[in-house]
Amino acid sequence: MTDYDVLVIGGGPGGLAAAVSAKKEGAGVLLIEREARLGGILKQCIHDGFGLLRFGEKLTGPEYVERFEEEFHKLSISYEVQTFVTSVRKTEKGFYVYAVNAKGVREYRTKAMVLATGCRERTAKQVFIHGTRPAGVFTAGTAQHFVNLMGQMPARRCVILGSGDIGLIMARRLTLEGAKVLGVYEVKPVPSGLTRNLVQCLEDYDIPLFLSHTVTRVFGTGRLTGVEIAGVDERMRPIPGTERYVECDTLILSVGLIPENEMAESLGVPLDIRTKGPICDNRFMTEADGVFTCGNATHVNDLVDYVSESGEIAGRAAASYKKRTGQESEKGRVMMDADASLQYLVPQKLNLGSDLGKVILYFRSSRVLTEGTLTVAVDGQKIFARKYQNLKPPEMERLEIDFTGQCLTKESRVLVSIAEGGGI
Amino acid sequence: MREMTCIVCPNSCTLKVEEQREEIVVTGNKCKRGREFAAAELKHPMRTVCSTVRTVFPEAPVVPVRVSAEIPKNRIFDVMREINQTVLTVRAAGGDVVIRDVLGLGVDVIATSSMLQSFAELKGEK
Amino acid sequence: MKRAKLERRLKKNLRTRFGPVVNASVEGRIIRVFGRLSNWEDIVEACSMCVMRIPGFHVVNDIELEGTDLPPMRKPEFTDDALEGRKPDVLVIGGGISGCSIARELTRWKLDVLLVEKESDLALQASGRNDGEVHPGVDLNKGTLKQKYVVKGNRMFDRVCRELDVPFRRCGQYVGFTEKSALPVVRLYVWHRRHICKISDTRILSGRELKKREPGLNPRFRFAIYNPSAGCVCPYGLTIAYGENAAANGAQISLDTAVLGMEVQDGGIRAVKTNRGTVRPKLVINAAGVFAEEVAAMAGDRFYSIHPRRGTNSILDKKAGSLVKSIASIRTLTKNTAHTKGGGILHTVHHNLLVGPDAVETFEKENFATEQISVDRVFEKQVKTAGGLSKQDIITYFTGVRAAAFEEDFIIEKGRKTRNLIHCAGIQSPGLTTAPAVAVDVAKMAVQMLGASGKIEKNERFSPVRKGIPRVKDLPTDERDRLIRKNPDYGRIVCRCEEISKGEIIEALKSPIAIPTVDGVKKRVRPGMGRCQGGFCMPLVAQIISEYTGIPVEDVCKSGPDSKISFGKTKEVLL
Repeated sequence: MTDYDVLVIGGGPGGLAAAVSAKKEGAGVLLIEREARLGGILKQCIHDGFGLLRFGEKLTGPEYVERFEEEFHKLSISYEVQTFVTSVRKTEKGFYVYAVNAKGVREYRTKAMVLATGCRERTAKQVFIHGTRPAGVFTAGTAQHFVNLMGQMPARRCVILGSGDIGLIMARRLTLEGAKVLGVYEVKPVPSGLTRNLVQCLEDYDIPLFLSHTVTRVFGTGRLTGVEIAGVDERMRPIPGTERYVECDTLILSVGLIPENEMAESLGVPLDIRTKGPICDNRFMTEADGVFTCGNATHVNDLVDYVSESGEIAGRAAASYKKRTGQESEKGRVMMDADASLQYLVPQKLNLGSDLGKVILYFRSSRVLTEGTLTVAVDGQKIFARKYQNLKPPEMERLEIDFTGQCLTKESRVLVSIAEGGGI
Repeated sequence: MREMTCIVCPNSCTLKVEEQREEIVVTGNKCKRGREFAAAELKHPMRTVCSTVRTVFPEAPVVPVRVSAEIPKNRIFDVMREINQTVLTVRAAGGDVVIRDVLGLGVDVIATSSMLQSFAELKGEK
Repeated sequence: MKRAKLERRLKKNLRTRFGPVVNASVEGRIIRVFGRLSNWEDIVEACSMCVMRIPGFHVVNDIELEGTDLPPMRKPEFTDDALEGRKPDVLVIGGGISGCSIARELTRWKLDVLLVEKESDLALQASGRNDGEVHPGVDLNKGTLKQKYVVKGNRMFDRVCRELDVPFRRCGQYVGFTEKSALPVVRLYVWHRRHICKISDTRILSGRELKKREPGLNPRFRFAIYNPSAGCVCPYGLTIAYGENAAANGAQISLDTAVLGMEVQDGGIRAVKTNRGTVRPKLVINAAGVFAEEVAAMAGDRFYSIHPRRGTNSILDKKAGSLVKSIASIRTLTKNTAHTKGGGILHTVHHNLLVGPDAVETFEKENFATEQISVDRVFEKQVKTAGGLSKQDIITYFTGVRAAAFEEDFIIEKGRKTRNLIHCAGIQSPGLTTAPAVAVDVAKMAVQMLGASGKIEKNERFSPVRKGIPRVKDLPTDERDRLIRKNPDYGRIVCRCEEISKGEIIEALKSPIAIPTVDGVKKRVRPGMGRCQGGFCMPLVAQIISEYTGIPVEDVCKSGPDSKISFGKTKEVLL
């Protein structure tokens, strides 16, 4: 058994950033990745647009993540690939992490853990598509794996359900490879993906987008032969009589991502029902002492730049985490209440330890607002406000607030809300 | 006046573009790149192409590539045809040129991953 | 005359209900209902009206469904002569739980056994599309074949599952009641079941005791019937295990083999025509499920009818597994019209929850498409069993079609007009529970029939034991470690939701009845059964299948032959 200060689970952009920052703080770090190569999902995201904030360049997924890998290797951080964590046990002496790989059953001990486990895709059944079970129904990520990693063509005539970014990216990708994308259908009245992807992935290739429509049924016994499309009402329920049949051989779903937190849950980490990720503080520590979260396991990010940023914060905090039950926890943490005007807010808590200064917040608005103002109030007293233009639920906002000089205690009531309009 | 979405960054600004004689007036952009985008989009829209090329290595049948700089939008499928005819026979690293000066457009097609090299390392470890 | 009187009564009843378009005749012990109706539910009602509770009497449905072409049986599209000239002692038709268990029991004797299944794997119809409950049999009345075999079959499960290395949990079943006033009636019922029907361990549990055992159930349950002998098993896992054990003991299992016709002469089957050649068996066992009636007709011995009944189950994430640890349902004293109780909640051997099934009459024997209304209906009822049940936890759902006879009982007997034939038909719930016992009896019947023309010897080399594929994640740490050191593939996890290793997938591809498709592997070792439904592992499984079998990735199928996952390599389309 080997001892570490920080053990990072997941070798995608979040985990790599966490490992690098923890190592830079002088911690003994081990990163465990279940796939054969580091890089996470970015290995298959071969389109460009990554890293504009961090590097000021439009990189492709592999280019972006390989920059982190390079730094990771330069720091000679220990790692295990094709290694799968089977269980984690918390004890007085730290966390015992059990894993398997081709060498056998492994056991590690660590003071702190960073869970950088990413997210998974919602499936056809989870959006209640009915009918038969033919081949040719894929989540966008699975289709992307086939095309970009295996060089296999999973589609010829294809319908895409969901206008999430991966769906839009796959519409373009499959078109470039010679498939016919018949249309992208979105159950909501507004598109889910970034506007620029609507332009450069759909408009550029004359792929139609149908809002307030969904796929209700699939047909075919061997391979998919067609799907049933229906219009939906304002509560997103199919409207009887609007059904029509579209002949196609492939249905690709881009209907949402779910943070992966099964391991966190096994450690008793409470999740936020809004983010579906762990409730965490500004250092990305969850409610379980010594367990940190980052990236898409915390909440689904739009941009990988933010994933890396949260990884860095979590890694740094995990490195400085000492199993001393006094001091920090005496001051405790205070909840930040995000009201219904926010779809969610990360972090949910502020750690009142000595260094509460600049805090990075990530949030999404619940509604589309051409003008909106986000305010933070402590015990009814407004301490911060910022004006926004074009707030949209699909687009995450990042915000830095300096809490220096704010006398926050465990009992303070911190309220975050967005009001319509620009008046402060 | 034309309305267009700037695709330079995730902000996706809605640009209002007006051609006044020789000059192009752009509003709605948060940064100067929006103006440049609008000007290009009116005269000669440019795009990046990202794809994969086949390789001779069974552990990585395809490797990701992109054009080193934007190409005219109407040449995308021409470039794709070139990309599709290329087979990588060396273990290229990210940034290595796969097709030099593709179709005489003055840009290269470059590999965007060093995966072939890391696979070679993985094999070496065994 | 008794027959004439019966016929008159049936005709009158039918005329009153449906007018002159439906009629009935009684010939021998066959009640034939004929005429034309435009609605399938009406046909089912007409035939059900004619059911006489007289042993050996069966309803045959000859009512034409107006304006609808009944879909033909799905069958393989290819032909070859793989079985041409085969003269087995026994031909078993159907690779479901009945056919496979019978084939296995037959291999205890020195017999040439051939099992044919039209699908590309075993257990692709009802046997792979049910909830896997091992019934206690408490809801069945004495005097039926179902009841006789359910009691016997249930008791055999520990041994059979041990022999065949199939996970089995005797988890018990709770039927909860919210009305205290129902207690006296239920007491009587339970007494009857214990002493008359010989379900000797069924008993009543207080609300408090129930709460202690299953705290997730409806807090308003005042008491419950508790059946400790109820259990659960993976239904297709058991079917495949039976099939593999049969094959290991010498039976031939021929998949993608549909029976297309029979040559019957002088009351005996001479030849059976399949898409893979003509077979001349000494004896035929009809275990064809929803198509048992068609097989009976081919053999000139149609004396019963099947009315298919769909049922849909939802599978919930393991996270919801702690809500119910056994099998639970709610019961009220108001009479239920549906043939099943509207389903229940079952904690599976793999620790998911299974919710359902419902019951819907259908003329489509192979329509396995799911409908939202089925899921909704079952949930509406089952939230009353356990309030914490949530559709949010659903990871998938599936539909099966029960092969019900109008008498709602099994038909297990020798051919009436055709002498070298045994029917094992009308096998619906609790057909999985009864299978081990039915198989023993059918095999005995077969041996006796074949024995008429010469003594049948015991197969001395028969081994009842089948070694399953190790479920690596359930092994103790040191054993798991040892196994990985022997074969590193057991340490390479491919399916993260279910924690399935590459080693297990390769074992599935090496198994006695290996099916090199994504679904074939999934049914045997479960990659893709978890919450991501194969989103992450499906491409990897396809790749492993390709590597191991040499099939190019682009030719790997999801299930049947027309279900290729990829259209070919990229880069070849635009050229």
